[in-house]
Amino acid sequence: MGTENPNPRNYPLRPAATPFASPQSSTPFASQQSSMPFASQRSSTPFLSSGPVVGSEAPVFRPGPPAASNFQAPPFSGRPLVGTEAPAFRPPPSSRPSEVVRPPPPPSSGGPPTSGFQSFPNPPMPSAGQVPPPHISLTGRPVIAPPTRPPPGPASIFSQPQPPLVSMGSPPQSLKTGQPNPNIPPPADQHFSAPRPSSQPSSPPTGTSYAAGRGIYPGYANMQPNSVSQDPPMQPASFQLQQGGYGPPLQSASFPLQQGGYAPRAPPTSLLAQQRGYAPIPPVSTPSGIYPGNQFQQHGIAPPVAAQQGLAEDFSSLSLGSIPGSFDAGLDITALPRPLDGDVEPKSFSDMYQMNCKSRFLRLTTSGIPNSQSLASRWHLPIGTVVCPLAETPPGEEVPIVNFATGIIRCRRCRTYVNPYVTFTDNGRKWRCNICSLLNDVPSDYFAQVDASGRRVDLDQRPELIKGSVEFIAPAEYMVRPPMPPLYFFLIDVSISAVKSGMLEVMAQTIRSCLDNLPGSTRTQICFITYDSTIHFYNMKSSLPQPQMMVISDLDDVFVPLPDDLLVNLSESRSVVEAFLDSLPSMFQENMNVESAFGPALKAAFLVMSQLGGKLLIFQNTLPSLGAGHLKLRGDDIRIYGTDKEHTIRLPEDSFYKQMAADFTKYQIAVNVYAFSDKYTDIASLGTLAKYTGGQVYYYPNFQASIHKDKLKHELSRDLTRETAWEAVMRIRCGKGVRFTSYHGNFMLRSTDLLALPAVDCDKAYAAQLSLEETLLTTPTVYFQVALLYTSSSGERRIRVHTAAAPVVADLGEMYRLADTGAMISLLSRLAIEKTLSSKLEEARNAIQHRIVKALREYRNLYAVQHRLSGRMIYPESLKFLPLYGLALCKSLPLRGGYSDVQLDERSAAAYTMMALPVKSLLELLYPNLVRVDEYLVKVSLLHSCFLCWSMIWYVSYLLPMSPQTEEFDIKKRLPLTVESLDTRGLYIFDDGFRFVVWFGKALSPDITKNLVGEYFATDFSKVSLSQRDNYLSRKIMEILNQYRKSDPSYFQLCHLVRQGDQPREGFFLLTSLVEDQTGGANGYADWMSLLYRQVQQNA
Amino acid sequence: MNEVLAWLLFFFILIALLVMIVFQLMCLADLEFDYINPYDSASRINKVVLPEFITQGVLCFLFLVTGHWFMSLLCVPYLYYNVKLYNQRQHLVDVTEIFNLLNWEKKERLFKLGYIILLLFMCLFWMIYNALEDDGHSI
Repeated sequence: MGTENPNPRNYPLRPAATPFASPQSSTPFASQQSSMPFASQRSSTPFLSSGPVVGSEAPVFRPGPPAASNFQAPPFSGRPLVGTEAPAFRPPPSSRPSEVVRPPPPPSSGGPPTSGFQSFPNPPMPSAGQVPPPHISLTGRPVIAPPTRPPPGPASIFSQPQPPLVSMGSPPQSLKTGQPNPNIPPPADQHFSAPRPSSQPSSPPTGTSYAAGRGIYPGYANMQPNSVSQDPPMQPASFQLQQGGYGPPLQSASFPLQQGGYAPRAPPTSLLAQQRGYAPIPPVSTPSGIYPGNQFQQHGIAPPVAAQQGLAEDFSSLSLGSIPGSFDAGLDITALPRPLDGDVEPKSFSDMYQMNCKSRFLRLTTSGIPNSQSLASRWHLPIGTVVCPLAETPPGEEVPIVNFATGIIRCRRCRTYVNPYVTFTDNGRKWRCNICSLLNDVPSDYFAQVDASGRRVDLDQRPELIKGSVEFIAPAEYMVRPPMPPLYFFLIDVSISAVKSGMLEVMAQTIRSCLDNLPGSTRTQICFITYDSTIHFYNMKSSLPQPQMMVISDLDDVFVPLPDDLLVNLSESRSVVEAFLDSLPSMFQENMNVESAFGPALKAAFLVMSQLGGKLLIFQNTLPSLGAGHLKLRGDDIRIYGTDKEHTIRLPEDSFYKQMAADFTKYQIAVNVYAFSDKYTDIASLGTLAKYTGGQVYYYPNFQASIHKDKLKHELSRDLTRETAWEAVMRIRCGKGVRFTSYHGNFMLRSTDLLALPAVDCDKAYAAQLSLEETLLTTPTVYFQVALLYTSSSGERRIRVHTAAAPVVADLGEMYRLADTGAMISLLSRLAIEKTLSSKLEEARNAIQHRIVKALREYRNLYAVQHRLSGRMIYPESLKFLPLYGLALCKSLPLRGGYSDVQLDERSAAAYTMMALPVKSLLELLYPNLVRVDEYLVKVSLLHSCFLCWSMIWYVSYLLPMSPQTEEFDIKKRLPLTVESLDTRGLYIFDDGFRFVVWFGKALSPDITKNLVGEYFATDFSKVSLSQRDNYLSRKIMEILNQYRKSDPSYFQLCHLVRQGDQPREGFFLLTSLVEDQTGGANGYADWMSLLYRQVQQNA
Repeated sequence: MNEVLAWLLFFFILIALLVMIVFQLMCLADLEFDYINPYDSASRINKVVLPEFITQGVLCFLFLVTGHWFMSLLCVPYLYYNVKLYNQRQHLVDVTEIFNLLNWEKKERLFKLGYIILLLFMCLFWMIYNALEDDGHSI
């Protein structure tokens, strides 16, 4: 097998076409045979070693790029194939595992692999196959297959006609059919040569034969059908054949997606069918996959499973009526792919490179880096990465801390930090940088012997050489000044609206309650400034019993009184600070001032903070109206929408804000803006401060303490107490030939590739786009290294380093296969939001649509020729949710509709938030959770009441095997976001990570409503909040809500109650968020898919 | 003789413009290669932006009043572009976005540079032409 034909070329997609023809008939067999090999290979592949793959080589891979050579993709372990082969493998998915089993086969090669086959063979055949495992199956066919047979040979193939193939007649279908017929399996052998296959089966050529056979077959087989075949080919054949063939192979599962369509068996069906079909576990095939040995063999015949899988994996398709205008009929709404499992990170990638950092830290939009600019230009989606350097880690997976006594080991030339992918040579005296290939000396105190396999003997004690993520303690040369203490500066608006809304009180209480938990223990510094039309400073010197207030009313020339006593050490002045916070709300109780001297206050804060840097929290209630940076009401101009000037309202109006933001970053000050106004506050301008300083914007429109109290409390305390990295800079290095060209998120660039981040925490992610610098990449792997240099709250300078490797691929199909929808959408949304800052909303939405269409069209061109796909939309399995997320993105707050759809402030605030959101939260925001809870509540309460009746308990537990105590509500049972999911008798929870909407159906049992909202049962829900009441149902629902809140604590979801038919409230809170429905001129999911489909067809 | 002096004046004004633009380009190049930080780079560039605009406006005006309407006309597109930028308040370099706009800023200034060099050659040509003509007359 190994040998397979060495044709390594993977690329060859082309052949495909031909394949069909000939293949068909032959295919089946071929595939089988070939399949074997493949199968084996593939199977193996999964494993790291995967030696299988190509016979021997496989093993090699593993991490290294080594063997790879043949394949482009070496990196992947088994996968090598990358390009072509890829398909075959489908590695990633579950399949592998199964395969794993088989691995061994190699030698015999033929034997084992077989498993794959199942398809045809399967059913019937088993017998044959089984026996001598491998051989058998193979056997038959083997017969000699004239190795060569040129692919085209098809003709001959046809000849076979006969039996099995029968169906073949019609090629395509035939395939499938063929399989069914399987019985015949034998045919395969001949493939070309002889038609007859059937016979053979029995005779299993011996092992040898196999080998030969395989070799041979492959030839054929390969060609056609299986792309699988070892041959490089993947080519064409792959798909086709596969489809036909088997169906089912193991993987079936993998495909799941497919909408359903299993159907497996249906023999005759056309390819299409198959495509979707796959899986079908059905028959025979299935087993094989999974069960290693035996089964396969049995199937013997079975076509190369792998192949099939390959196909399956290759793309998913959706049936859309092919007749113009009739698509409605052809589109099955329920079959559309939906991300009901939330964010699914592609597994294959991390499996391939086990030493990569976890995907929570770094995700690539596609893990296959194109090897040439021409290939990159055919990939119409962005290539890039989303980095969340400080993502929260689950217990047990903390990032190890490494302290080098004598300097951190870095490459002399490119400054890369030592990482698991560097190689030690010269008996451990030198190490080769994986990014620039420079040979560096190993410092004497870092020296360790290298064993025969090239591993350092002390590997176990060196986390930096085994883990993708480590944290180095930085020595003094990484400091420009002594590490700064954590510093919190509060700039608080105390004008009348702040007092009236209750914001001041909630805020003061929250800060006071967080004083104990501020990071930094005794080093923490704190300062307060309040302002209305004047600026108030507070002297908090520890020797004072009470804070002293100083008022400055000269707004044109702000100066700081007592510069030394404003900023104080929290632990020393604790009592003064507490006294201040206690008296703050009452101090301004009578304040009737409506003005806001925001700009001058900001300058004052800057003057106080510029020595140290730190975090500036701004609580703004009104539009800044006095002094520098005063703003105008400009958001109400409806006429500006749809004109060329539309975007200007989303940009800061006054350059003062950009200038201040730049100065803040320069002095390591991060700004978080909390805005509360019920009127226009120009978040677009205020948010600029947060955007360029690595901060974030919290917006509470129309803040009322009674309603929003919990939300503000939770979010402010999280902001104050989460682990924060101070005065940080981040750089992403990557191997030769590629370069990061643009960065997207909340930060400021300090040089072309250095991100200045005055404060970073786990809720911030940054995206970057890559481009190829060289026309051709010659390395098999590209490495990325994210380095974040920061000061921890404890006052240590540290460097957090995340390293990842990604294979270079030569085949577009492989790029699609390795794509990651989550990262892709994250990057796309940032690009789209940036686009709204320079053009109309409409254009930004169109840009998303165009990108998706172009990507799907390119994908279609890749495969359409080989399959009869008219009337079907095909998309890569890995990106099956891309269209839906794209639609959701177009309907998200920053991009939705026009003037009347979303308030300008809300739009801007959402845009700033989405620019910083990590992938997971973003996906949840775009496609929120919708779950039905009434059934669960009723069930549990029933159980509960029964439970109370002791006598009943036995009966209950008999009826319903779960006791109320043990039953956990499954928050994963998500529903599609469409009105059709809402049953009038139901109670639903909608959760987008920022708010809950609890929807009460019209026909919901009044008992439930009464239990949940008590005396407000019949009143208007707009003033009612859901709080815990003294009954079981209420406690249960609160439990569910808390479960959601705990799953993502970065924001607090405030609960809104909505009754069905209660307009406009229902529309506002829920209906506009149901992204699959047609709302306000935007497409519904089905229409959107048909639209994409039509556009993909154009100029295809 | 006056003609020659006038062209000489234009020549020096053009040289001044050239210097200002080259200076801006150098700042941008330094920034790109990380020799200076964006704050310094932006403030240096912004310091010469207005002088550049004014000088160019003066030049255009002088061409007009000295009766060199053709040269004046050649200057008008440049002037119009500057005025447009100024009115949109986009004439200054934005520190916060300087890296994203780097390529555009460079392209814009290279274009201006080419423009100025073209004018410079025409100016030289006219100066020499006039000088020779004067010579001819004096002889």
